[in-house]
Amino acid sequence: MRILVVEDEPKVASFIRRALEEESYAVDVCPDGSSGLDWAQNVNYDLIVLDLMLPGLPGVEVLKRARASGVKTPVLILTARSEVDQRVRGLDAGADDYLTKPFAIEELLARARALLRRAGGAPTGLLQVDDVILNPVTREVTRGGQRLELTTKEYALLEYLMRNAGRVLTRSMITEHVWDLDFDTFTNVIDVYISYLRNKIDKGRERNLIQTIRGSGYIMRSDA
Amino acid sequence: MKNTSIRVRLTLWYGSALALILVLFAVSLYLVMSRALREQVDASLDEAAAVAIRTLGEHRFGPFLIFEDLSQDFPEIALLDKFFQIFGPAGQVTIQSANIQSREIPLSQPSFRASLEGHSTFESVQFENGVPLRLLSVPIRQGDRLVNILRVGTSLQSTNRMLHRLLVGLYIASPLALLVSLGGGWFLAGRALRPVHAITKAAQRIAAGDWTQRIRTPHSNDEIGQLASTFNDMIGRLEVSFRQIRQFSADASHELRTPLTITKGETELALRRPRQAEDYRVVLESNLEEIDRMSRIVDELLFLSRADLGEIKLKMVPVQLDDLVREIQQQAQVLGEERHIQTVLEVVEPVVVQGDDLRLRELLLNLLDNAVKYSQKGQTVELSLTVSGGQGKLVIRDHGIGIAPEDQERVFDRFYRTDEARAHAAKGTGLGLSICKWIVEVHHGTIEMKSTTQGGSCFTVCLPLASSAVMV
Repeated sequence: MRILVVEDEPKVASFIRRALEEESYAVDVCPDGSSGLDWAQNVNYDLIVLDLMLPGLPGVEVLKRARASGVKTPVLILTARSEVDQRVRGLDAGADDYLTKPFAIEELLARARALLRRAGGAPTGLLQVDDVILNPVTREVTRGGQRLELTTKEYALLEYLMRNAGRVLTRSMITEHVWDLDFDTFTNVIDVYISYLRNKIDKGRERNLIQTIRGSGYIMRSDA
Repeated sequence: MKNTSIRVRLTLWYGSALALILVLFAVSLYLVMSRALREQVDASLDEAAAVAIRTLGEHRFGPFLIFEDLSQDFPEIALLDKFFQIFGPAGQVTIQSANIQSREIPLSQPSFRASLEGHSTFESVQFENGVPLRLLSVPIRQGDRLVNILRVGTSLQSTNRMLHRLLVGLYIASPLALLVSLGGGWFLAGRALRPVHAITKAAQRIAAGDWTQRIRTPHSNDEIGQLASTFNDMIGRLEVSFRQIRQFSADASHELRTPLTITKGETELALRRPRQAEDYRVVLESNLEEIDRMSRIVDELLFLSRADLGEIKLKMVPVQLDDLVREIQQQAQVLGEERHIQTVLEVVEPVVVQGDDLRLRELLLNLLDNAVKYSQKGQTVELSLTVSGGQGKLVIRDHGIGIAPEDQERVFDRFYRTDEARAHAAKGTGLGLSICKWIVEVHHGTIEMKSTTQGGSCFTVCLPLASSAVMV
């Protein structure tokens, strides 16, 4: 899951980034409105966290223009002002949810999860493919009731595969949603992480759930 | 009376005044009327008496007179509404006109006595059947001798009836007139007070929070028109200051929320799981920075609000401004040391101003600190102090990021910071220049900001010299 954070205050942007990264999301931070709009339009993000008080282009304007240009990504707005009309304008401009500063980190993460879940169409929050179950809240992964220990990146990759179960995912799609902008696309990091995941999930099992589609990418599905 | 509306009160006042006028009018009308009628009756009696006396004189006076003869010769005596009596010198009736018939109207004692003395008398009496009469008794003398007393009388019935009718008319007309004018007064008071209602309604809407409300007035310059336009002016000014206060508190809460968000967010993040000691240190240091920022904002806000309330006491003494400038320049050098920013003294003339040493020091330090803060590495800040036009003129020029012309008006506004300033110096509070402006103004000086041609900022402070300074 790849998230764009548009926030001008460097320290706020920094702790939001670290919190999201600890939850194994890929995070890009953008310090002003106009480049935030630019990125939102050109990168296929899964969620945008948008501060409303921005230098240059105000947050509400960023949101309006992004929606006008067809960006469907869920948007969580952050506002320093608790005034109702600010939030109303944000929501009317196309935001999906809001948080008022100062906010609790756990609430930010819960709202991010909720927005991602809503976008993914899984109402309970639990993701399941065959007997693999992933809980995005506790970040617990089990197969056949047996708990699996995953690293942050492995977890992020698995979550992305499971959210898109049954669909072929190209390497560039995986790059876009699991890694942030600092990622060097020329390496074979994706293949390496896929093999790590296979070791933990499929190795020694009857059914292999993560399959390679030659020439295209990967798919996760239960039927062989 | 306290709770009744002005409309009711106006109408009541107006009604009472009118009622008083009506009563006075009615009473005097009645009095004048009855007096005029009485006089008219008396005059006609007088006239009749004169005619009768003339007639009698032509016939010879005497104790026995035949009325019929008289009335035949002089038909005017036989006027229907008057009767005649002629008394002998002893007061006995000798002859009387037929319209009296046999009724007895004796001569009263006072008129008989007056007649003996040669005076005429008028009197009003009640006839036996209740008819009011007016009587005139005139003595007829020959030499000193009283020969006859002529009495002419008439009924007052028609006069009284007329007066009665007048009274009835007044009884009916006065309350009617009062009622009609009360109605008119009520209507007029309502009309006159309509703009007052409009003002009340507008004030209520404004009280409900709609500051855009104004009173629509006809373009009149009367009392109500003046009240309305005064009211509108007042609301206009209130709206502006209300908006400023709202902006101010919104800005203040924003400025305080940012450090709060950072400390809360960073702390919560740190506590989510066990971390290295170094990580905690980083968080604590960052938090300390934010706490410092918040306490600076709170201090400066408190200072400004105390300044607004006039609670800041100033100790005005002659201050050697040139010494102060040199001293602060040394401090600015230290501030800029790390980034190699030189503070250069260009011209320093001796200037003495009447002022508070501590506040002037704060002013200089604030301005120089800003200049250094917004300068790029290796740039210089220039400082000069000259005398011009009876004022000490302090110029602080930097070559830093500068301020766009459209923002220059607002740099002295509280919490106002340009986006560049925010990005450049996150630690600023946005209150420093507001404080500078306040300090300059309590010293009766001026401060202005212009961009230099090289893109930096140039602050000019003018303070009156001590000799010409207004003592505070």
